[in-house]
Amino acid sequence: MSDEMLRAPAEVKYAEELDWLESVDDGPKPFSWRLSPRMVRLFVLGSERADGLDREISQKWFGDRSFVERSIVTLASDRGLLLIGDPGTGKSWLAELLAAAISRNSTLVVQGTAGTTEDHIKYSWNVSMVIAKGQSRESMIPSPIMTAMEEGVIGRFEELTRSTSDVQDALISILSEKYVSVPELDDDGIVFAQPGFSIIATANSRDRGVNDLSSALKRRFNFIRIPMVTNKRSEEEIVRFRTVELLRRHQIELDVPPTLLDILLQSFADLRAAAAAATSDDERLESALSTAEQIGVLEDAILHSHFFGDRTLRAGTLAGSLVGSLVRRSPEDLAILNKYWHGVVEPRSKKDGGEWQDFLEGGRQAIATLS
Amino acid sequence: MSQGPFGALRGQLLDAAGAFAEAPDAVAGILTGMVDDVDRALSEELEIFPVCHHSPASALAMARRLREKQPKVVYLELCEDLQPLLGELRNCRLPVALQAFATELDGFPKDWGPLSVIAPITEASAEYQVIAYALDSPDVELVLVDRSADHVFQWLPREKESAEGDAADTTDAAEPGEEAALHGDAVGVEIGDLRPRFAELEEHLLHHGKVRHWSEWWDQYVEQPLVGADYDTYRQVMVLIGSLFRRLAPDADARTARDEDRERYMWTRMREHLATSAADPSQCLYVCGAAHAASRVEQFGLASAAPFDISPRTASRWLYGLIPSSHSAIEAQFGLAAGSVSIAAATWTKAVTAGQAAPYQLEGQKGATKRKGRVRPQAPAPPEAVTDRLSGFLSSPPALDALEEAELLGWSVDIVRLARRNGYLASTADAIAVFETSILLAGLRNRGRPTPYDFQDAAVTCIEKDVVPGRRDVRRLCEILLGGDRIGEVGYEALPPLARDVYDRLAPLGLDLEKRTIQRALIDLDAHPELVPCSHLLWMLRYLLPDDAVRPIMGRRQLGERSIQESWDLAIGRHQRSIIELGYEGVTVEQVLEQRLRRSVWAPQATAAVALGAVEDAILFLGSRRFADELGARAVELLAAERTVDDAPEVLRRIRRLLAHYRSTEPTLPAWCEAFVTAGYAHYCTLLPTAFVDEAVGVRQVAAMLGFLFSMESFALALGCDRAQLELAVRQSHPEAPAKVALSWAAGSQLGLLTPAELRSRCDELLANPLVVPAFPQYMSGFVQALEPVPVLAPFLVELMSKAFGRLPDSVLLPWLPLLITTLRDQAKELVPVLVREAGRTFPGSLPALDAWVPPWVARAVPKAGPAPAISGPVADLLAGHPAACDAVAELLGCAGGWQQAVTVAGGHPEVGELLARHPRSADAVATLLSHGVAGPG
Repeated sequence: MSDEMLRAPAEVKYAEELDWLESVDDGPKPFSWRLSPRMVRLFVLGSERADGLDREISQKWFGDRSFVERSIVTLASDRGLLLIGDPGTGKSWLAELLAAAISRNSTLVVQGTAGTTEDHIKYSWNVSMVIAKGQSRESMIPSPIMTAMEEGVIGRFEELTRSTSDVQDALISILSEKYVSVPELDDDGIVFAQPGFSIIATANSRDRGVNDLSSALKRRFNFIRIPMVTNKRSEEEIVRFRTVELLRRHQIELDVPPTLLDILLQSFADLRAAAAAATSDDERLESALSTAEQIGVLEDAILHSHFFGDRTLRAGTLAGSLVGSLVRRSPEDLAILNKYWHGVVEPRSKKDGGEWQDFLEGGRQAIATLS
Repeated sequence: MSQGPFGALRGQLLDAAGAFAEAPDAVAGILTGMVDDVDRALSEELEIFPVCHHSPASALAMARRLREKQPKVVYLELCEDLQPLLGELRNCRLPVALQAFATELDGFPKDWGPLSVIAPITEASAEYQVIAYALDSPDVELVLVDRSADHVFQWLPREKESAEGDAADTTDAAEPGEEAALHGDAVGVEIGDLRPRFAELEEHLLHHGKVRHWSEWWDQYVEQPLVGADYDTYRQVMVLIGSLFRRLAPDADARTARDEDRERYMWTRMREHLATSAADPSQCLYVCGAAHAASRVEQFGLASAAPFDISPRTASRWLYGLIPSSHSAIEAQFGLAAGSVSIAAATWTKAVTAGQAAPYQLEGQKGATKRKGRVRPQAPAPPEAVTDRLSGFLSSPPALDALEEAELLGWSVDIVRLARRNGYLASTADAIAVFETSILLAGLRNRGRPTPYDFQDAAVTCIEKDVVPGRRDVRRLCEILLGGDRIGEVGYEALPPLARDVYDRLAPLGLDLEKRTIQRALIDLDAHPELVPCSHLLWMLRYLLPDDAVRPIMGRRQLGERSIQESWDLAIGRHQRSIIELGYEGVTVEQVLEQRLRRSVWAPQATAAVALGAVEDAILFLGSRRFADELGARAVELLAAERTVDDAPEVLRRIRRLLAHYRSTEPTLPAWCEAFVTAGYAHYCTLLPTAFVDEAVGVRQVAAMLGFLFSMESFALALGCDRAQLELAVRQSHPEAPAKVALSWAAGSQLGLLTPAELRSRCDELLANPLVVPAFPQYMSGFVQALEPVPVLAPFLVELMSKAFGRLPDSVLLPWLPLLITTLRDQAKELVPVLVREAGRTFPGSLPALDAWVPPWVARAVPKAGPAPAISGPVADLLAGHPAACDAVAELLGCAGGWQQAVTVAGGHPEVGELLARHPRSADAVATLLSHGVAGPG
């Protein structure tokens, strides 16, 4: 089935791995969990020889082990889980993996926006059916969260802080009483959550202050802050992992040379250092320079060289993609990149030579085109 | 390969190696070697007790073993020269650090100094058990066998490493707090350093152990299982770990080589001691780090006879003392995770409370709760044969303790309370969640019971939200809850004489100086003259100690000033280390101060200004005329040898103050002052022409030189200097920079080389010349600087500035007004008030007065129309006698005034004339005198 989807959800993509883990899992499982907490951790963080498994489980999320452990434990407890962090730190990916491992369903998602209403969290009505048959359970359209409650699985709420405070607060009773009452129905008017139900929400720390969570809701969530990956080695692993996936998805056979990956990581590290040293927002790129952004740059470059190039990834193309993806405000971002290119890339290409030379040229051309 | 009790285990390990390793030979070699190491260490005739630093398991095992064996001689891995200090430990509140300190170096690079070695001692350590046992049991000898502090530095590579015990800190380093800096920059030594020697191995262990940092790994895999283990298991496990780390250490590691030298040293020392004391080796115990127990040097073992030459100590003078330490300081020094030493201490306390061992404690130990020897009665165990306990340890999980649930519950409730007090919205529901999460986390992490680290993670998960409301986050609160940082204190009896002297002399203040809080001392010097010596001492400490140790809030000590009341903020308890280290420099504060001052003026980079400062300090703090004179003489030497004038403003300020002080307090000036003034006069005269043209010399410096020359002139001339030297120097100066040009004009006017009128006309020219106008602020700043040497110029300066404002067109004036202000503020800050005061005197004070106001310089320029001066004499008589010529000329020129009546008396004051006419004799006498004088001898 995964072959027919543009992007298969984690439980489909890793279905075979999950089946196997479930078959060997002999640990105690909380509620209706499909895997024991240790196996969930193993699924997310990958296996090691010391785990004594017959097959290798690949690592799917890269980051501090304790974040994953704390998240799993939170889901096994009474509280919801709120993953908070900068954009592109892998919050949603972690949420998806956890939901897939625990309940084999990561698609019960509510996307928080300014237009999200309480109906999206609780239920709404199929108007024509209500007119035809009156209000009943059949004519009710349950929200993904309500479905998760009924099935005793994990529901997800993306970008919780983008929705308005009154909508957020609809979650309070769901998280504490664990039921939703439907006053329109005379009998059978309460939907109870089955054991195993919990919520994983994500929030963007850059949105802080837009719609702050009420303290009542804060109490019902355990917060786990996912930091930006700055360790070069883990970042390399993440980028490589995601690139392989992308290539597979696009069915492209193309080799990403390690030197180019190095160049990409190095230039992002440089730009982050520059952003950290800058004193005003004008001297900072608008982009958060996250790992996801790097993957985006690489993907862009790969697609470009595949369809318009000679099917090999070159440093020049990578430079073009990098400039193209990072320039969002016309004079400011361009000026910063221009400064970076001439102040850092140029000396480095003279010193190290090799691919940097090509990278320099490609970047220059891209900046010239945009200017 | 011997077939000892470990044969079975050896086989198992080899099998495992064969199954997993890609190169079985290498792994098998290591594993076999490890088991051999354990075998060898345990079968050694002298009983070896392997320990690990800050390990409660080590301490517990030690306490039990000591009670059981009661050894007569204990050898301890600790610098041998620290031995005399151990007795003083009982006077201190632990943790403290034993310190060896050397400032007078011999044979070490100069830039290493001062050398300092510290060995921290905590209560929850095996070494403290040994020390307490040995010192308080009769007939027991404690022998320190490790290399001396001198050898620590002798064996350091010449490019000094940062620290002996350092290792890559893999944890998220907390910001170093004040307590973490308690050790200063000393090199730390610790007993039982047991940690992987290279980062990859540590990372591997952490990764596979699924823990975050080394302390957690140790706690989980070694500490917790070992707490209740018996002695044989303990020994085997410790040596095994020590052996593994040693065997995996890189071969060419300088540290390994150093460690091997230390082992040779220790074994040599022990053999020497056994030979001289004739002690029975079976009655002895050798306490060393687990890594040393697994040593493979040929000197290992009493049976060995391999020689080792111990190099003599250098002639560096080592001083010894105790300094306060803290858990966080130990963590920072040895790269341990924040809170790990506190957690170790908590584990120790718990084990002791649970009655797992009866610990030893030094008699009269300060700051310790007296523990009763409440231990389950144990029959002295008969000596057992060494059996294999290792297989059991490796396969069985630790046993659960009933007490632990209650403890965890207590922690969960306490952390919520603590969090609430720190601004978190935490409730009982959170306590329940923390408790539950801790247990779940421990289960997930494969731990039998939640460790403090699990609890910490659980608390962060459940209580920490998106923002930290107060100063401390939940992680920090957990550290505080689990024991917090403990800060040691060195007791009075263990202090060096200087520190004791300080405490004694400050006793009249009636404050508890041992407290770590800031104490406020109020001193009324008039009402309580007996407190004057205290105030005196505080001022000296203010000079010697770091800034915030002793801080005056009210009261100043300067030449010519005396405080009536003083108030001080004292943080002496917190800066005990600084005071103790002062104690290494001398016996009294005065002596240390004298040494410091002397050292400062004889330092290679000392300048005259520094020396004058030292003189001032000597007068203020020591009051010794002899010493001040000595420093002053040095100041004269320094001044004469100086080739720059950078310090001229400072020199001028200080010498003026000193001269004023001596003039007001002493009948005669000290000889050095006279020498300084004459030397300075000559010195600055010589340097003046170059300073005027040298671009690197600022206007301030030149102004200060001129200030010195002019204000000391009369004094210098009286001492035999020649004014011509100064005049020549000024004439030789041909500055080009506008500010300096102005300065040289001012100097010229002071010396009479330039009349005020000339000066005025030159300045008028400047203002009239549009090409020069942009540089006018520079001239102004030069003139303002000139107020220092030529104060009489102030009215002229006001005139000049007023003219500038009046005459310059707005297009020129407005742009340079801000420039003028900034120039003045930058270059002549302290002189601007003089100028403003002068302006206030010149200009009218009220608005109506301004309309009628005529500037004094304008008033002076238009002379009052009064009677012409009386002209008399032969020429006037001739013209008066023959007026026709004059009339003709007047007619020709068009003058219609006509002849005027000559006033007989000059100035138009008839009463003066009358007076003189009535009493002609005095006028006659003057006339006689004058005519006599003119016609006289000349």
